[in-house]
Amino acid sequence: MDKLKSLFYQDSLLEKLHQIQITYGYIPEAEIENLSEKYQLARANVYGVISFYSMFYTEPTGKYIIRICDSISCHLNESDSVLRAVKSYLGLKSHQTTEDKKFTLEVVECLGHCGEGPVMMVNNKIFTKINKNKALEILNDCM
Amino acid sequence: MAQEKLYLKGDKLLDISNYEFKSIKNALRIGREKTIKKVKDSGLKGRGGAGFPTGIKWEMAAEVEGKEKYVVCNADEGEPGTFKDRYLLEERPLKVLEGIMLAAYAVGADKAYIYIRGEYSKSIEIFSEIIETAREKKILDANLFDSDFKLELKLIRGAGAYVCGDETSLINSIEGKRGRSRIKPPYPIEKGLFKQPTVVNNVESLCCAAEVLNPDSEEFSELGIKGSKGTKLLCLSGDLNKPGLYEVEFAQITLAEIIYDLGGGIKGNEDLRFVIPGGISTAVIKAEDLDFPYSYQAFEKRGSSLGSGAVIAVSKKHDLIDLMLNVSRFYMDETCGTCFPCREGNRQINKILNAFKEEDRKIETELISDIGNTIRLAARCGLGQSSLNFITSVIENYGKELKFGGKIYA
Amino acid sequence: MLRAEIDGLNIELEEKISILDAAKKANINIPTLCYEDGLSIYGGCRLCVVEVEGEDLLKPACATEIEEGMKIKTHSKKVRDLRKNLFELIIATHNIDCQLNCLTCSRASNCELKDIAEDIGLSKMRLDPIKRGDSVDNSSYAVIREPEKCISCNRCIRKCEEVQGIGIFTTANRGPETVVTTFKDRGMGNVECTNCGQCILSCPTGALHELYQKESVLDILNDETKHVVVQTAPAVRVAISEPFSNQAGDISTGQLVTALKRLGFDAVFDTNFAADLTIMEEGTELIDRINNDGKLPLFTSCSPGWIKFIEHFYPEYLDNLSSAKSPQQMFGAVAKSYYAKEAGIDSDKIVVVSIMPCTAKKFEAKREEMAGDVDYVLTTRELASIIKSAGIDFLNLEESEYDELLGVSSGAADIFGTTGGVMEAALRTATELITGEELGKIEFEAVRGLEGIKKAEVEIGGLKLRAAVANGLGNARKVMEMIKDGEEFDFIEFMACPGGCMGGGGQPISSDKNVLEKRQQAIYKIDKSKKMRKSHENPYIKKLYDNYLEKPGSEIAHKLLHTKYKARKI
Ligand SMILES: Cc1cc2nc3c(=O)[nH]c(=O)nc-3n(C[C@H](O)[C@H](O)[C@H](O)COP(=O)(O)O)c2cc1C
Ligand code: SF4
Ligand code: SF4
Ligand code: SF4
Ligand code: SF4
Ligand code: FES
Ligand code: FES
Repeated sequence: MDKLKSLFYQDSLLEKLHQIQITYGYIPEAEIENLSEKYQLARANVYGVISFYSMFYTEPTGKYIIRICDSISCHLNESDSVLRAVKSYLGLKSHQTTEDKKFTLEVVECLGHCGEGPVMMVNNKIFTKINKNKALEILNDCM
Repeated sequence: MAQEKLYLKGDKLLDISNYEFKSIKNALRIGREKTIKKVKDSGLKGRGGAGFPTGIKWEMAAEVEGKEKYVVCNADEGEPGTFKDRYLLEERPLKVLEGIMLAAYAVGADKAYIYIRGEYSKSIEIFSEIIETAREKKILDANLFDSDFKLELKLIRGAGAYVCGDETSLINSIEGKRGRSRIKPPYPIEKGLFKQPTVVNNVESLCCAAEVLNPDSEEFSELGIKGSKGTKLLCLSGDLNKPGLYEVEFAQITLAEIIYDLGGGIKGNEDLRFVIPGGISTAVIKAEDLDFPYSYQAFEKRGSSLGSGAVIAVSKKHDLIDLMLNVSRFYMDETCGTCFPCREGNRQINKILNAFKEEDRKIETELISDIGNTIRLAARCGLGQSSLNFITSVIENYGKELKFGGKIYA
Repeated sequence: MLRAEIDGLNIELEEKISILDAAKKANINIPTLCYEDGLSIYGGCRLCVVEVEGEDLLKPACATEIEEGMKIKTHSKKVRDLRKNLFELIIATHNIDCQLNCLTCSRASNCELKDIAEDIGLSKMRLDPIKRGDSVDNSSYAVIREPEKCISCNRCIRKCEEVQGIGIFTTANRGPETVVTTFKDRGMGNVECTNCGQCILSCPTGALHELYQKESVLDILNDETKHVVVQTAPAVRVAISEPFSNQAGDISTGQLVTALKRLGFDAVFDTNFAADLTIMEEGTELIDRINNDGKLPLFTSCSPGWIKFIEHFYPEYLDNLSSAKSPQQMFGAVAKSYYAKEAGIDSDKIVVVSIMPCTAKKFEAKREEMAGDVDYVLTTRELASIIKSAGIDFLNLEESEYDELLGVSSGAADIFGTTGGVMEAALRTATELITGEELGKIEFEAVRGLEGIKKAEVEIGGLKLRAAVANGLGNARKVMEMIKDGEEFDFIEFMACPGGCMGGGGQPISSDKNVLEKRQQAIYKIDKSKKMRKSHENPYIKKLYDNYLEKPGSEIAHKLLHTKYKARKI
C-alpha cells in the first residue's frame, strides 16, 4: 500500500536534515544512521547528500554562524575589507570555528541583498550595508 | 526621464483575507485551455534565466500523460546580483501563491512544491505562514472556490548550493539527493520529480502569469514588443548611486537609462567601465555601448543575455583580474562536481588567474580559450556551459589592458 | 526502423539505443571513462562527446539516445580537439608528477587512462598537476585506496551500490572539494565493506587495489628456516594466463604449478583438495540439519565477502551459516597439523601462502577466529606480477603436477570456482551418501550458468531439497529478502562476486566482455576431463579422515575445520 502512495507524502530528506540541524546545531552520526535506515540508503549516501550542501554540518559549529557575502556586488562594495577585518578579529579562516565554539565563519556567495551590500548574516539574521566597524560591532553584540 | 511600470512591484500583499485571487478565479472561469492560451498569447518568457516561453511549457505539460503531475516554484535565487524573487516572496507572497495555483490548474497538477533557498529565512518564514493560512482558509488542500481544482503545496528549504537553481538539480534536491543536474533528455516536462511530469517555473514568471490572468491588468500582455513582452524586475547593484529593485516595461527603456536614470549613475564620480547585464553568467556590455532598448533580442544580438535581471554596474576603479577571480571562484566553488569539464575546468581557470595575479606572469590565452571551449561545449548543465561567459567577455574586451594576447573562442 | 548517420555511414537500427552503442555496431570506438557496461549511465567524464548536426553543444554518446535522422560525427576536429583538452584537465587531477608514478602503479600494465591517451592522440600537457595531498587509505586488510589517483569517475560507487548492493562509496562535498570517499572519510577498513574487491575491477586507474603481500611472500621464500607451502584456489588456474596472453578461458593448471615450484615454494598444493574436504564437512552438516530438525536453510560459508556481508546486514541469520570454514582456511589448518605430522615438519616452521581470486580472503586470513591457519594471501593478479618479475615465461612453461598429499582433488572441487559449483558438488556427494546409489547424470544443469539467482528442486532419495544459488551480493540481498518474506529453502549457495570466485575481485582485470563465460566454460571443462568427479571419492580425503580426522563432523574435525561468526555493526 505504502508504495502506491505518492512520494509527495513522504518526509523530504532535505527537510529532515534541516530539522536535525536545528535541533542539534549539526547532524550527528546517530541521526545519519537513523535516516539511512528510514530512507533505505547507505549511510555513505546520506553523508554524500549532507556534505553537498553548505548549510549542513556533520560536526558541531559555533553558536553563531557568521556568513559574509563576497559575491560580485558585495565585492564591488568592498566586502573583502570587511572579510579581512572579521577574519583577523576572530582569528578564523572560512569554514572554521573559534575554540570557544562561539563563532563559525563562512565566506559565502550571494545572499540576495546585493543592492545593499556588503551583507552579513548572523545565524538567521541579515545585516546590510555593513563595513569593517559595523561588522565588528555586530560580533561584539553577540559576545 | 525613464519611468518604472509597476505590476509585480507594489504594496505588501500578505493578508490572505483581503486578497481576492482574481487571477485564479478568472482561470477557473475560463477553463484550462483558455488559461494556457492566454499565457501563450501573452508571449511570456521564463524569468529564471533560460527564457523558455511559459505558455508553451504549460501546454506541453498539460498534454503529457502521468500518474501525477507536479508544479515546482523555483525560489532558489542564487545568481549573484539577483534579489527580485526574495522581494516577491517577502512582499508579495500571495501573488506567488496565486501563480503556483495557476500553473498547477493549467497543467492539471494537484501537487506542488516551492523550493526556497535556505539562506532566505525571512522568505521561508513568511511563505510558511501563507501556506498555513491558505490551508486553514481552504485555499489549499481543498476544492478551490467550489471548483474541482484542489492543490496541495509543500515548502522545501534549500541548504546552500547555487546549482540547485538549475531545474534538474532542484528536482534531485527535493528528492533528497545531491543537487547534481540530470542528463537531459528526458526533460522535467516528461520525467521530472519522482519520475513524473513536472513544470518548473521561476517565482517572477509565475507572478507574471498571475498578471496575465488578472482582469484588472489586461494591458499587461500588451506591454513590450514581440519577443519581449510584459515587464521585468531589475536588480540594480554594483557601483550605482541608487541600487535596488526596479520594474520596467520591456523595450521602453535603454540600458543607459537603467544605469543613469533609475540607478542614479555611478557612485563617487567614477566612470563606468561596463555593465554585467544579467548576472555573472552573462557577457559584459561596455560602457560606451549601453544605448539600446532593454529586451531579450537586443542582448542576444550583442552576444549576451538579460539572464536573471541582475544588472551590475562596474566602474573603472576595480582591478579586472580581481573581478575575474571573484567570478571564477564562484563557479569553481559552486559546480556540483559531477562533470569533469566544469569541475576541473573551473578549477584550472581559477588557478591560472591566481597565478597571473600573484606572479604577474603572462597568461596563455590559448589555454584559457581551450578550457573555456571545453567547458562550454561539453559541460552537462547550464552552470558549466555559461561559467566562462563573463571571464571570456572581459578578456575579449579588455585583453590588451590586461596584457593578455590572442583571441578567445577563435 | 530508425535511420541515422554516423561518420558518414548510414545505419539502420531496430530500436532506440545510445549513440555509443550504435557507434559500436558500426565498428566505431568512442573513448569512454565513466561508462561501464552493466552500470547505470553517469555522464560525468564527457570524453564520449560527439557532434550532432544542427547542435552547437556536443552530446555525450553514452547518455544520448540516437534519433531518427541524426547525423553524428564522432571524430571531427572539433570533437578530437575537445577530447584532448578535456583529457589534459583529467590528467592534471590525477597527479602524475613524473613517469615514475606510472611505473610503480598497480595498473602499470593495463591502465585505462594510458589507453585513452593513446586513443585520442594526446600530444601535450600544459597544466600542472593538482596536488590534493590525500593520504593513502590503508585501513583495510583487503582493499587499498589511493585517492590521489582517483579521478572521480564514479564507477566504484555504482559497482558497489548497484551490483553489490552495499554502498560503501559516495561522492562527497561539492565544487573543487568533490571527492569519492567512504562514510565520513572513515576508510574502507572501518566501514561495512565486505572486501569483495569488485570495485577494484571497475576502477580505470590505480586508485583501488588489493593490499599487497607480494614483497612479504618473496621475503619468506628466501627464509631458509621456513617451509613454505602454497595452495591455489580453483578459479586461479582459469585466469592466471590472462595477463600473459591477453586472452580469456585458457586452462593453465600445469604451468601454474611449475611456476610456483620455480618461485621456490617447498610444496605446491591445491585448495581444491580442501574444497573436497569442505563438501564432506558441509554435506554432513546439511544431512544432519535435515535429519535432526536443525536450522534451515543452510547457507554456504566459503565466500568471505558473503560472510562479512551477512555479519553486517543480516546478523539474525548467522545460525543459518554452515560452521564449516572456507576451503582456504581448512587447507591452512590441515597443512599445519596433518601435513606437518605426515611430513615430519615442525608446524611452527610451516608458512601457508594462498593464491586466491579474491581480496576478501586477505581479510579472512586475518580473522581472529582462525588466525594462523593461513599466513599470506596473494591475488591472482599479484601472482602474475611476481611471475613476471621473476622472469618466468609463463605461457611456455612445461606442465607439472601438484604435490600429492594435499594436492589431489575431484572435479567437484574444480567447480567451486564458479557460481553453482559448491551447490553442485554438494549435491553430487549428498545424493550418493543419502541414497547409497551411484548418480546417473552427474551434472546438475539447473544450478549452472551465470544468472544472478538460480532456484532448483532436487530429488534426493525421496527427499525434496529446495536449493538456491546466488552470486553477487546484490543478488544475495534479494535472496535474503525472499527468505524474510517467507519463501522456504533448504540449502543456499552464496557467493559475493558476480559469477562466483572466477569473477573475484583479485582476478586479472579483463577487457573481454565475455570473460566470465569463458572462465566458466574452462572450469566445466576441467571437471569433465577428470575421472574422479565427486568429493567423497577422493582417496586422499579418505586417507585424511582415516589417519587423522576420524570422520566428518568429528570432534577433531570441528576443532580444525569449523568456525564461528559474529554480528557486526553498520
Ligand atoms: C546553474 C543554474 C542556476 C539556476 N538558478 C535559477 C534560479 O535560482 N531560479 C530560477 O528560477 N531559475 C534558475 N535557473 C533556471 C532553471 O533551470 C529553469 O530554467 C527555470 O527555473 C525555469 O523557470 P522559468 O521558465 O519560469 O524561467 C538556473 C539554471 C541554472 C543552469
Ligand atoms: S556543468 Fe558543472 S554544475 Fe553542471 S553538471 Fe557539470 S559539474 Fe555540475
Ligand atoms: S592509473 Fe595513473 S599512475 Fe597508474 S598507470 Fe594509469 S596513469 Fe599511471
Ligand atoms: S570491496 Fe566490495 S563491498 Fe567493499 S567497497 Fe569494494 S565493492 Fe564495495
Ligand atoms: S576510485 Fe577508481 S573507480 Fe572509484 S571514482 Fe576513483 S577512479 Fe573511479
Ligand atoms: S552579491 Fe552579496 S548579497 Fe548578492
Ligand atoms: S563515458 Fe559518456 S560521459 Fe563518461
